Amino acid sequence: MKRISPPQNSFPFETHFNIGLADLEKALNLALSRGGDFSEIFLEYKIINAIRMEEEIIKETSENIVLGLGIRVISGDRTGYAYTNDFSPAKIKGAALTAASIAEEDLPRIAARLQSSHSPHDLYPVSSSAHEESLDKKISLVKETHEFASHFDKRIKEAKIMFTDQTRHTTIVNSEGLFISDTQPLLKLTCLCVAEKSGKREAGFSGGGGRVGMDYFKKNLSPSQIANEAAQEALNLLEAVVPPAGEMPVVLAPGHSGVVIHEAVGHLLEADFNRKKTSVFWDKLSKKVGDEQIFIYDDPTIPFFRGSYNIDDEGTVPEKTPLIEQGRLVGFLQDRLSSKLMGNPLTGHGRRQDYTCIPIPRMSNTYIENGEYDPEDILKSVDRGFYAHKFQGGQVEDSGKFTFSVSSGFLIEGGKLTAPVKQATLIGTNIDILQKIERIGSDLTFGLQTGTCGKEGQAAPVTDGCPTLKISSMTVGGLK
Amino acid sequence: MKKQKHPSDLMDLAESLVSFGRSQGADEIEVSAVEGTEFNVDVRHGKIENLVEAGSRYLGIKVIKEKKTAFATSSDLSKNSLQRLMRNAIHRAEFANCDEYAGLPPLKEDTFDQEVLDIYDPEISDLDAQEKIALAMKTEKIALSDRRITNSHGASFETKEIKIYLANSLGFKGAYEETIFSLGVGVQAGETDKKVEDFWSSSHRRFRNLETPERVAKKAVERTVRQIHPRKVRTQNVPVIFEPPMTAWLLGFLFSCVSGMAVYQRLSFLADKLGKKVGNEKITVFDDGRMRGKLGTRPFDSEGIPTGQTTVIDKGMLKNFLCNIYSARKLKHRSTGNADGAGVGPNNFYLKAGEMTPEAIIKSTDRGLILIRTIGHGLNPLTGEISRGAYGLWVENGEIAYPVSEITIAGNLGTILKQIDMVGNDLEFRGSISGPTLRIQELTIAGE
Repeated sequence: MKRISPPQNSFPFETHFNIGLADLEKALNLALSRGGDFSEIFLEYKIINAIRMEEEIIKETSENIVLGLGIRVISGDRTGYAYTNDFSPAKIKGAALTAASIAEEDLPRIAARLQSSHSPHDLYPVSSSAHEESLDKKISLVKETHEFASHFDKRIKEAKIMFTDQTRHTTIVNSEGLFISDTQPLLKLTCLCVAEKSGKREAGFSGGGGRVGMDYFKKNLSPSQIANEAAQEALNLLEAVVPPAGEMPVVLAPGHSGVVIHEAVGHLLEADFNRKKTSVFWDKLSKKVGDEQIFIYDDPTIPFFRGSYNIDDEGTVPEKTPLIEQGRLVGFLQDRLSSKLMGNPLTGHGRRQDYTCIPIPRMSNTYIENGEYDPEDILKSVDRGFYAHKFQGGQVEDSGKFTFSVSSGFLIEGGKLTAPVKQATLIGTNIDILQKIERIGSDLTFGLQTGTCGKEGQAAPVTDGCPTLKISSMTVGGLK
Repeated sequence: MKKQKHPSDLMDLAESLVSFGRSQGADEIEVSAVEGTEFNVDVRHGKIENLVEAGSRYLGIKVIKEKKTAFATSSDLSKNSLQRLMRNAIHRAEFANCDEYAGLPPLKEDTFDQEVLDIYDPEISDLDAQEKIALAMKTEKIALSDRRITNSHGASFETKEIKIYLANSLGFKGAYEETIFSLGVGVQAGETDKKVEDFWSSSHRRFRNLETPERVAKKAVERTVRQIHPRKVRTQNVPVIFEPPMTAWLLGFLFSCVSGMAVYQRLSFLADKLGKKVGNEKITVFDDGRMRGKLGTRPFDSEGIPTGQTTVIDKGMLKNFLCNIYSARKLKHRSTGNADGAGVGPNNFYLKAGEMTPEAIIKSTDRGLILIRTIGHGLNPLTGEISRGAYGLWVENGEIAYPVSEITIAGNLGTILKQIDMVGNDLEFRGSISGPTLRIQELTIAGE
């Protein structure tokens, strides 16, 4: 067959999978041998290196390799899927036929010839790839972080440092003739500090990274910044009081509080929940769901961000996607299946954890756009309330009920931050909270580049952001 | 897909890699190999949504050289790739620091009878796809036939067949196979802005022991409709009754606090409490990897240590932490057969049943909350603090009065263990962590 020149960022899947384009075309056709609308092969080769330091020593290093392919057939709203990491012709044929069995038309379809293409995006042009960096250098980075953390204060008794660097090569081919590849770097350096004072122990956490190179930890976020932030949080918590309980005004800190947007809004705008009408938003497209000052976006194209990608895991070139504008619901996050069934354009949000998973609509980098209020004035407007500073995470149900776990916060008294507060849970329903966003600050910040979102058992790297936000009233779950 | 019946090639591969590693200069080597096949069907509104059938294999390596450790895993099982991975690991080990506690566990004689463990159901190969699809279809249909149900998250039927092989350079060689069958359904009730939802699922080692579609559907419906028209209650301290899935959730948190890994790093509030009273005498907790046919049953852990029964808490007294070999050496404890990958995991971790029926527990509660679901994170092993979003049923005069939502519960595991004043007789092993209905004397509920 005709030789196709490899696209930018392509990885030589032929050498790792020991199969060629002709084999893939054959499998795509085999997958359509019983009919169906669409067939696709997702090939993945991922290397994850990790270093763990605790108790003042490098405990271990690891190298993890993920190699496999998944074959998908869509017939109407039905999906057949099979995966394998044995690439013998018999196994690939078996996988294609298994996926094919979802269509029962017994009228074979023919896949289009594969045409190489590439993404217009180049979102992670990394000059100092961690993958090529020596283990020595990476260990120095870990040790340096540890050094800063353990010397921050006498009360810091333990610092655990983790560094991981991942390189993920994907190639997607499908029956529409798509043949596209991407190589996605992902770095993460985290620090957990434990502080102790008169028998009381508390932990603080920080970290950073993204789709970046090693120079990120010199130019953008230094080991000392990460260490100091983790240590400071642990020390603050030593002095923290138990959180108040009940309804009160809540101010969300810029950056970390992006998780609120992720949970309260983002998940329920993923197209699958709306196509299935299980999300409270399914019948609210183009309707007003919140105050006019609210603009919310999901943007997979922010350079170097953890949640970004040149192509999604279905090979779609992603776009910045408006979700809410002027308080009005304007869009959903689409994957191929939902976009087709709903008759909406693709947005490039079909993602999967790895080759064993069917892609589903997911967020990437989700944020609420700047408003016009001065963050200090927002604080001053609260006489008595709760300031949510850092979060452990959040969860939402299709019904719109969500929680956020605040790992550290402050009391607001007379318009000022006063006592540090530990572990509290915020709870609410999304439609309600969108109505109650009273003021939006002008200080949009993104949270730590360390977040992972879970949905249907699949993990995906994400980022979220928001400016200072004032919620007029929210239930704070503390101790009475 | 064609399935190999009893492939021993992975055992051979593991053993040959151990030898290869030794020849390359490693002091100690452990190689594990896993082969899994899965079948999963999701149906929704009477149609197949997803059908997944697949198999995969992967391999894990642990290398120790001069008391320095390196790990590797791979799903690329080509010989070249694995040998390169092993050489890399041996090379990388030199970059770790010397750690006197590192090393494989000494070989321990043990025999187990796969038949007696009863964790593999040969019937798995007799089930055909149509039968599996029909089960999921039937379950959803029954659930949707209830007029109060307004939407479906779908029903799923899943089977897994897993074969595990382990070999190390001290001469351990072992293998076992296991099966898991699961049937579940999730539904919603109520209109768009006032939806409530829940699900129910049954998992078992043996196909014939799964709950019937009728039972699974009925439970999912009951659990959902009882939440319709919830109220919010005011902030207060009341007795809280944990339903068994909530007890399992609480025990999951307890597990993370008695895990040897958290304890040796002093990341658990129970780290200094061994041999001390941590709960009242109603609390007895075991971990047992040898219970017949249970979901947490396995003959040996991921380091080849035979599993057995460990008393974790005996009538309120903290007796043992759960350890892999590394944390055991750190704590001068014995390995309890809880190694799981590089960390520690539960076998069958459960709280011993009491004598009261759940009905009697509710009846004896004047005013309080039955906790039916929690959402969110909010667990801190270092302090024992718990703070979660909660759903429940309000109890007045010993009877269920109305559903409650948009509240949170907050408390401390250390206090809770001392305040459990009633333990139900309804212990069922529905997963690897299980417990009966419990009543906690007092927890803080935050609401209006």
